[in-house]
Amino acid sequence: MNEPLSIVDLILNASIVVQVVMAILIMASLASWVMIFQRGFALTAIRNDAAEFEIEFWSGKDLGLLYKELDEQESDLIGLENIFSSGFKEFSRSRQQEGVDPDRLMQNVQRAMRVALSREEERLETHLTFLATVGSTSPYIGLFGTVWGIMNSFRGLATVNQASLSVVAPGISEALVATAIGLFAAIPAVIAYNRFSAQVEVILNRFEAFTDEFSSILYRASHKGS
Amino acid sequence: MDSAASYTIAFLFAILVHGIVAALIATNWNQNLIKVADVKPYYIDATVIAENPYTARKDRESDHRKSQRDKKIRQHRLDEADFRKTQARWEEEKTQQKEDPAPQPVIETKPEPEKSVEEPKVDREAVRSSFEEELSFAVIDEKNARKAVTDDEKAMAYVAQIQREIIQNWSRPPSARNGMQAILRVHLVPTGEVVDVKVEETSGNDAFDRSAVLAVTKSERFVVPADAMRFERDFREFTVLFRPDDLRL
Repeated sequence: MNEPLSIVDLILNASIVVQVVMAILIMASLASWVMIFQRGFALTAIRNDAAEFEIEFWSGKDLGLLYKELDEQESDLIGLENIFSSGFKEFSRSRQQEGVDPDRLMQNVQRAMRVALSREEERLETHLTFLATVGSTSPYIGLFGTVWGIMNSFRGLATVNQASLSVVAPGISEALVATAIGLFAAIPAVIAYNRFSAQVEVILNRFEAFTDEFSSILYRASHKGS
Repeated sequence: MDSAASYTIAFLFAILVHGIVAALIATNWNQNLIKVADVKPYYIDATVIAENPYTARKDRESDHRKSQRDKKIRQHRLDEADFRKTQARWEEEKTQQKEDPAPQPVIETKPEPEKSVEEPKVDREAVRSSFEEELSFAVIDEKNARKAVTDDEKAMAYVAQIQREIIQNWSRPPSARNGMQAILRVHLVPTGEVVDVKVEETSGNDAFDRSAVLAVTKSERFVVPADAMRFERDFREFTVLFRPDDLRL
């Protein structure tokens, strides 16, 4: 009896509502950790790819050759590669048409790159809203479980004529487990959300800078030709 | 990176993280943190002892008589052992109550009237009766004792309830000191209402006595057994001992 109640026992003996709340929170936590790891890997990969591509791009290699290499690549193009190839594709395609105004051509190229950029942005930000949702709502869900549990334990207390701390304590402790799980789910989610959205911001800036640089190169090329 | 593969790896990592946390919780790694709750509050701790001096005297008497008697029959000893056992159980209950960590005043109960009433009476009869008679008495004795145990347990609950109420209503004056004690004699009517409270033994401090009287009168009505016999015997009139033991001063 003197042995403190184990948390596992508390969870197993909790009322059904509290248990449901805990189950939801554990699932949310699990899902958010999946997202955290997946995003972590994905963003690192994108960053590395972008760095590699930039090195290759500025190495003075022929851009037509670079485009052909990317085109032959099996896997999906991501990040800078995608922006580059959609821009270059539009450029070469418009170029083949007779009598296209260089300014119109540049507009087309820029539009194509903007589309690619926004698609990349979308890809970078996948799951971030989920993390934000888990981070902001799971404390409330946990709180709901706690309030419900405490409510019930006090309701039970009303019928007991010898009210002592040991009567209420297990109920409250059990209810508080829900809040604990809620916070356990929320804290990593919030941290990850902040971290990832900052990283996404940095990557997007880099993409935009690259887009500008690349379009200025294409601009020069298109006006030189005419 | 292949997205399905990245999700699988991420999922495995997530499971790993949760597994570690669950294992830590399951093994009660923070057990010693929980034990801190054992520290007792050191000043809010008063003891109220409800005592019936009449039965207490009787108890002493019977003890005296017992010591005078050289010869005791076997059954009697058995009975006594039985009685001791029940007493031990009460003691246990008492200590359990005492361990209650709530900052409420702790309740301590002296062996309550009933059980002592039963036993000495039988003893006296046993002395008077002849050796053979004693045997049959012993049998009845044992039955009574057994009945008394359950009855006493019930009575204990009432006593405990009354004590709780009194303790709740008792606000000690600042002049109260450890070791002061006041005994009040309380008269009840069968509905449990308090009709009279008298200071039987003053503590020497008027404020203290007044606070004790007030504690009883404030309660107005106690829960008493519906059984008229029991009420008459134990609850019609009883004494309450007020003695704060664990004040800071």
